[in-house]
Amino acid sequence: MRIVLAYKWTCDPEEATVRADGTVDWSRAKPGLSAYDPVAIELARQCADAVGAELIGVTAGDAGVAAPIAAKAALGRGLDRVVIVEDGSLADAGRSELAAVLAEAIRHIGDVDLVVTGDSSVDVAAKMVPTVLAGELGWPAVAEVTSITGQAGALRVERAIPGGVQVLEISGPAVLAAAADAAAPRVPGMKDLLAAAKKPVELLELAALKISPPDAVMTVTGRARPERKARAGQLIDTADPAKAAAELVTALRQAGAL
Amino acid sequence: MDFELTDEQQLIRDAVREFAETEVTPIAAELDRDHRFPYELMPKLAEMNLMGMPYPEKEGGAGADYVSYVIAVEEISRACASTGIIVSAHTSLATWPIFKFGTEAQKDRYLADMASGRRLGAFALTEPGAGTDAAAGTATATLHADGYALNGSKMFITNAPYADVYVVFAKTDPERGARGMSAFIVEKDTPGFSVGEAEHKLGIRGSSTPPVYFADCRIPKEALLGGEGDGFKIAMQTLDGGRIGVSAQALGIAQAALDASIAYAKERVQFGKPIANLQAIQWMIADMALEVDAARLLVYRAASCVDNGRPYSTEGAMAKLFASEAATRVAGKAIQIHGGYGYTESYPVERNYRDAKITELYEGTSEVQRMVIARSALR
Amino acid sequence: MSVNAWIVVGDQPTVGNLVTVARSLGGPVGAVVAGPRPVAEAVAGSGVDKVVWCSAPDNVPPEASAPAVADAVAADPPRVVLAGRNPGERVLLGAAAARLKAVVLTGARSVAFDGDDVVVVNAVFGDIAEETVSVSGPVALLLDGGPAPSADGTGVPIEEVSAPPLGLTVIETRTHGFDQADLGAAHRVIGVGRGLKAREDLALIEELARAAGAEIACSRPVAEGLNWMGKDRYIGSSGARISPQLYVAIGISGQLQHMVGVTGAETIVAINTDPNAAIFKQADYGLVGDLYQLVPAITAALK
Repeated sequence: MRIVLAYKWTCDPEEATVRADGTVDWSRAKPGLSAYDPVAIELARQCADAVGAELIGVTAGDAGVAAPIAAKAALGRGLDRVVIVEDGSLADAGRSELAAVLAEAIRHIGDVDLVVTGDSSVDVAAKMVPTVLAGELGWPAVAEVTSITGQAGALRVERAIPGGVQVLEISGPAVLAAAADAAAPRVPGMKDLLAAAKKPVELLELAALKISPPDAVMTVTGRARPERKARAGQLIDTADPAKAAAELVTALRQAGAL
Repeated sequence: MDFELTDEQQLIRDAVREFAETEVTPIAAELDRDHRFPYELMPKLAEMNLMGMPYPEKEGGAGADYVSYVIAVEEISRACASTGIIVSAHTSLATWPIFKFGTEAQKDRYLADMASGRRLGAFALTEPGAGTDAAAGTATATLHADGYALNGSKMFITNAPYADVYVVFAKTDPERGARGMSAFIVEKDTPGFSVGEAEHKLGIRGSSTPPVYFADCRIPKEALLGGEGDGFKIAMQTLDGGRIGVSAQALGIAQAALDASIAYAKERVQFGKPIANLQAIQWMIADMALEVDAARLLVYRAASCVDNGRPYSTEGAMAKLFASEAATRVAGKAIQIHGGYGYTESYPVERNYRDAKITELYEGTSEVQRMVIARSALR
Repeated sequence: MSVNAWIVVGDQPTVGNLVTVARSLGGPVGAVVAGPRPVAEAVAGSGVDKVVWCSAPDNVPPEASAPAVADAVAADPPRVVLAGRNPGERVLLGAAAARLKAVVLTGARSVAFDGDDVVVVNAVFGDIAEETVSVSGPVALLLDGGPAPSADGTGVPIEEVSAPPLGLTVIETRTHGFDQADLGAAHRVIGVGRGLKAREDLALIEELARAAGAEIACSRPVAEGLNWMGKDRYIGSSGARISPQLYVAIGISGQLQHMVGVTGAETIVAINTDPNAAIFKQADYGLVGDLYQLVPAITAALK
């Protein structure tokens, strides 16, 4: 069985700052594996180990995603090998473009039975790349997945629904987005990290993938830093809890909040 | 000259930091408060291959370079100095002499288990009357038909009684001073070997350091490590490497104190603005940041010498001397920056301060390090 | 009629906001429903001009009809296709977006036509910045679905299509016993964070919620790591986003990922023992102190 794990190498917006003109300054941010990807890798690894499947990482992005440290970081987490599409033109890629590139990379790998992704990327957090990818491949997609068991052609999947859990059977290849708390990712051990350098890394040229240009062209015409509502920041003395409570309730009633 | 870490070193740093933040930081204050050995961390450290990092994979270790090992000790110590010394003493003091001086039979028996972390090690050199003057030890090892009989007492033995394997130094020829000392490998439940009461210390309270006693403790001839009379040399060479581990522990403590001070200075508001805006605080932070960075350069440089097969005795002494004294200074300034709050258990800097001091004392006091450096400088 | 905007719907008819946005763009609005028939009937009365219902067997989830939904949308290609923020509809929207080769945007604050272009003001990177974008072709938008339509009887005709669904079947459904939340409708919400020491202490919060007529919510770790509440109760960039009259944050530090979920609140109150917690700068009223003393005191003051 062959499982693909689509991951992202990118920066966390917590480390970015927004200038007054609305442009985002990423210069102090250090790229890493997207926050929920280790959860997905752990879930996929457990599924792969149970049936002796190969677990192949796939990623696409702009300069840096094919850097040795990026590949080793992903491989060290438990992937058997990685396939990477690195191209400067992907820096501003939208969700659909990325999904199209990933779909081509998956077709290139061939004979893929399952694609697993994280819940969402730490920077864009759209939750749409896995579903557009499934649309490109013509496969079913399921999100909020908490468990994956079974063989190719007979997968058993658990996913969170409002109020509980639903168990599904999937009879063919699928794209599954792991819930953010689907598994506790193991921290890579020293041997895992040192072995990562020896695992295969395959680079694919974007131009060779023959991706048809999108029908829609998006142009950014303006940028802004959103207005945040100014908060009064009024501190209420809490030395006497009963007095503080009375003061708060009075203030809230006067403000119309209660 | 490349001052950047390799990819592997960066990834190792990130992974050990993640491990430390998830598994070690949450229990660090409790270990200190309760003087408790972190027994639950031992299997987790072993699973992460953190207990024998610099030893070859075929010997059970991780096959990492020494710089990576030192980074790991630093990151663990940043979360908990007690856990840091448990790892360092096991790896550098207990496992190393067996790796370097052990016979094939001894390595078969102990090395894979120790380098993988399945069995914990300890190093027993110090005695009540023999600290810096290690050659003055009075523990004896008398040869009989069936092996050696050990007699004497050792103190401040890191990892006792949890360790399974003890590298013990005793005089096979008391008349010859240092040249009469030999090294032995003693296993935990050997009759005649007992462990005394826990030592209550100022800091590294999670590290167990009781005395151990040998009363006609019988060990086989095969327990001799190296030749008779090689013991002092083995001890000194082992400590040369061990002090690099301690320098990494001191560096981790200093970094923790610095991080805490920066966070506090940005949030604490006095006179209407964060104290980080005050020049007095800024200058303290500048001095602390400089000391931590200088310590880091010395520690990594010493580790680099080990990796490049170069002599590291002086470099190790410099790293240990500077990092330990810097840790004490940085932790002291950290409390100063925190003001009254820094004196309470609500903030971690008082623990950093108490933990830092030991790094100036064990594995060679600062005075010993100065002797080593002076001897090298005055050659 | 040539549809200008398609709404894709799964198994919940929560389309109020989607219909409003679609109508504001002008032109005919259609809805494709992949869920049980009652959902299609409810959507037929929501104000759209046509409804296509992809029928499927009972034990088949909406996701299995994704290709049928994409077919329906592609048969009458729109400029805009919209869906609500829930897992099933994200899958349906993804299939439609792939088929149309549309630009996908998930942070739209406003959508309008400017000549032949669709102009969207889109929040990006966890809402730290905003971009105004102009799209020359089809756009797929993920938005808050909005309320379900009221059952007033009138509705447009439903066109049923039954395409073979993908091989996805429901074997079992298990409930976890947590009450479901309707945070979006609540005027007052109390959020609980890691400052709460034990699950049993939720009783204190529940008493306060009853006295205040408030719903209970939480920060992400309380729902996911600790599992003290259903995941539908966590507020944050990846969870619920609410704009109540009053939000009381108890034992919550005030990190960006959580606060993004309540920036629209009229009044924010914070209770935390740490005077340096980020939340105090983002609150209208702050109480630095022990929640175990303050919460009962406030409950008493409300009675």
